Amino acid sequence: MPKASPFPADSHDRLFSRNHRTMSLIKQLWLATALLTTLSFGGSFIVSTLSARHYLQQELALKNMDNATSLALSMSQMPKDEVSVELQIAAQFDAGHYRLIRLTDPAGKVLAEREFSGETASAPRWFMTLVPIGTRAGIAQVQDGWQQFGTLQVETHDRYAYDSLWTSTQQLLWWFLGGGLLTGLLGTFTLKRLTRPLEGVVEQAEAIGKRRFITIPEPRTLEFRSVVRALNTLSERIRTMLVQESQSLEQLRRQTQHDELTGLFNRPQFLNQLDAALSRDDAQAGGSIYVLRITNLAELNRHAGRAGVDAALVRLAAALRTVPLPAARLDHGRLNASEFALLIQGEDEDSLGVLDTLTGRLRTLVREQLPDAELLAASARYTAGETRAPLLARLDGALASAEQSGASHTVAADAQPPLHTSADAWRQAITEALEHGDLGLHRFPVLDMAGRVIHYESPVRLRLAGNWLDAGRFLPWAARCGLAARIDAQVLATACETLAGDPACTGLAINLSAEALGHTGMREHFIATLQAHRRIAPRLWVDVQESSALRHPTEFRMLCAALGALGCKLGLKHGGQDFARFAELHDLGLDYIKISAAFVRDIDRTPGNQTLVRSICTLAHSIGLKVIAEGVGTLDEASALAGLGLDGMTGPGLPASPRRIVA
Amino acid sequence: MQEIAAQRYDPSAAQAVLAWRQLLDDLQQGGHSVEDRLARVNAFFNARIRFDDDIAVWRTADYWATPLETLARAAGDCEDFAIAKYMTLRLLGVDDSRLRLIYVRARIGGPGSQVSQAHMVLGYYPEPSAEPLILDNLIRDVRPAARRPDLFPVFSFNADGLWVAGARQSSADPGTRLSRWRDVLDRAHAEGLALPGRQP
Repeated sequence: MPKASPFPADSHDRLFSRNHRTMSLIKQLWLATALLTTLSFGGSFIVSTLSARHYLQQELALKNMDNATSLALSMSQMPKDEVSVELQIAAQFDAGHYRLIRLTDPAGKVLAEREFSGETASAPRWFMTLVPIGTRAGIAQVQDGWQQFGTLQVETHDRYAYDSLWTSTQQLLWWFLGGGLLTGLLGTFTLKRLTRPLEGVVEQAEAIGKRRFITIPEPRTLEFRSVVRALNTLSERIRTMLVQESQSLEQLRRQTQHDELTGLFNRPQFLNQLDAALSRDDAQAGGSIYVLRITNLAELNRHAGRAGVDAALVRLAAALRTVPLPAARLDHGRLNASEFALLIQGEDEDSLGVLDTLTGRLRTLVREQLPDAELLAASARYTAGETRAPLLARLDGALASAEQSGASHTVAADAQPPLHTSADAWRQAITEALEHGDLGLHRFPVLDMAGRVIHYESPVRLRLAGNWLDAGRFLPWAARCGLAARIDAQVLATACETLAGDPACTGLAINLSAEALGHTGMREHFIATLQAHRRIAPRLWVDVQESSALRHPTEFRMLCAALGALGCKLGLKHGGQDFARFAELHDLGLDYIKISAAFVRDIDRTPGNQTLVRSICTLAHSIGLKVIAEGVGTLDEASALAGLGLDGMTGPGLPASPRRIVA
Repeated sequence: MQEIAAQRYDPSAAQAVLAWRQLLDDLQQGGHSVEDRLARVNAFFNARIRFDDDIAVWRTADYWATPLETLARAAGDCEDFAIAKYMTLRLLGVDDSRLRLIYVRARIGGPGSQVSQAHMVLGYYPEPSAEPLILDNLIRDVRPAARRPDLFPVFSFNADGLWVAGARQSSADPGTRLSRWRDVLDRAHAEGLALPGRQP
């Protein structure tokens, strides 16, 4: 996929001056052009000046000779008294352009002489010394009858020659400067045109070097085209491989995690999903769980036959899957033969009403085929930090009371009432906390397989009504009030400060909410803040939830490019479930993926998930991604994970128990 | 020069050149006075070379021939005589300042005649201010100018000032070809006739 670099200036810099020792091709070509231009113009300048001088010398010599001869001829015919001789020489000298006319008698005595002594040439002296015009005097004999009268020496003034040479040299110089400049400009322009495709090639090669397998349009230059074609083929092959691998991965995942008949999650996996949902600490923490039970399934099987019941259950599952609920994520599971469940993560408030309607619709649907079927439903709200067993117990209780009361849908009471009940109250409380700076970051270490800290996950916490609240308790409300992006901005600022103030800290991972990702202004603010903290950028890890990235693919791509250029690490959080849906993962330039706790829970006892995680690792490593396991709860899980090719893991069950440090 | 003559012309030309070389060798021996040399050179050319117009010899209105050309053709007009004698005397060591090629107006047909003709002779000045001795192809003897009332001098020249010490050979100078005098000097040089005082 063609992709313009978000920082063209950077790639330009790269091309033009990598460092002092390895000079770039373009610079060398430019130097060669400049040198050639200078040589050709300088050479022709010198040659033309010298040939002009040679021509002038010859002309002057001929003029000297001819004038000497004609003056001598006329003097030979004239009377030789002193006045006449003087007059003739004076007339020739004054009317002409001479430096010297001298008549000497055969013994060498000067008979008459005129010499120019006045202003010199306007050409500068250095020029006359640099390009001297050596003129030859014209010599002729003056005869008086048979007698020798004298020898005449005529020298033309060279001032005019110097002046004209100087003027023509200056003109030439201007022409050559102009011509040289024009050639230089043309050369630069041509070079730019010629090497523009090269920039693309270099960019692609460097991207592939960072395992970002991009394709670019083939340039018209033949040599570049074959290079780009080869690289494109490589990228395309990687993409195809990725598509095939992720398809088989998805197949494997379905086999392992899904119920054979209905295609919903099977019981262990649904419970894993529930565990992961309960341990979330972001805007999608908190939600509802809905359970539907067919109470007389055994009886129905006997009467309607196994096949009929199965068909009805498949229809039920399909209807359950297509429930239109406004939630961040829906998970559907078959808990046992007669029990179905719906996990609604990050819900909006009024989903309970929808569940009433849903129960009615499902009952109608099932009774169309099985008129005797008895359906009961119960739902319960959960908040972040709850544990699974009491939640399921509450649901069981609600189902039991539904059975007694005959109500089709019962809602279990909330385990613990929220701090505030209205969105307005939450907005006020969160805004106040943000304004008072009552915001802190946790530090949970993410370890590599050797037990060293790769970075610290640093979820946010706020002090509300005097108590520090974990992210999962207030972030869902913040998201509902439209404050998530603001919290993200403050978290980023705090993380930058922390990293700047603590050089020993290997790195901090912060969360970027879907809201901030989808909001152009917030994204730009985020990038601008990082640009202002370029020095700490390499130690900052930015987690984006897999579901957020899927919801805003274009924005996510732009963020990848921008953060990559800044040296930040960018990766997916709570990943794995929808890995196969990343069609263009190969050219994003991601750094890591954190695998959701839903895969990690009980992995030591789930060979299916082990295979899945191993496959994800292989696939991710082939395009240069690091893989980190989230939510490792027990040492057994940790040791099972160690053999699967992971790069790191985090969670409460790790050998080095996580220290809670307030940043 | 003999080789060039043999190549370009017939054997008689080579012989003429041989005779001229013998004359030069003979006169270069000691014991010859300047007057003797003048007389011998004058007699040599006057006897050997037939006077003819350029148009008959060279099929050109006016052609200045080198000594080799004159010897080879055994014919020439007044300039060719004067040039041949000038160069021969220069080869014998006579200084350029004592020699002048002189344009003269010659009265033909006795003292009372009004017919005159353009002519060229070679003048030798024993002293710079003295009366010259005239080498002419019209008469056999070398006589002082005073004894040549038929000749009226107009203008004289020699090779003085044509070559400046250290300057390049003038034949490289395209201006050379424009002057008949410089042209003939260059051609003679090309034929192997190196005048003293001139650059190689």
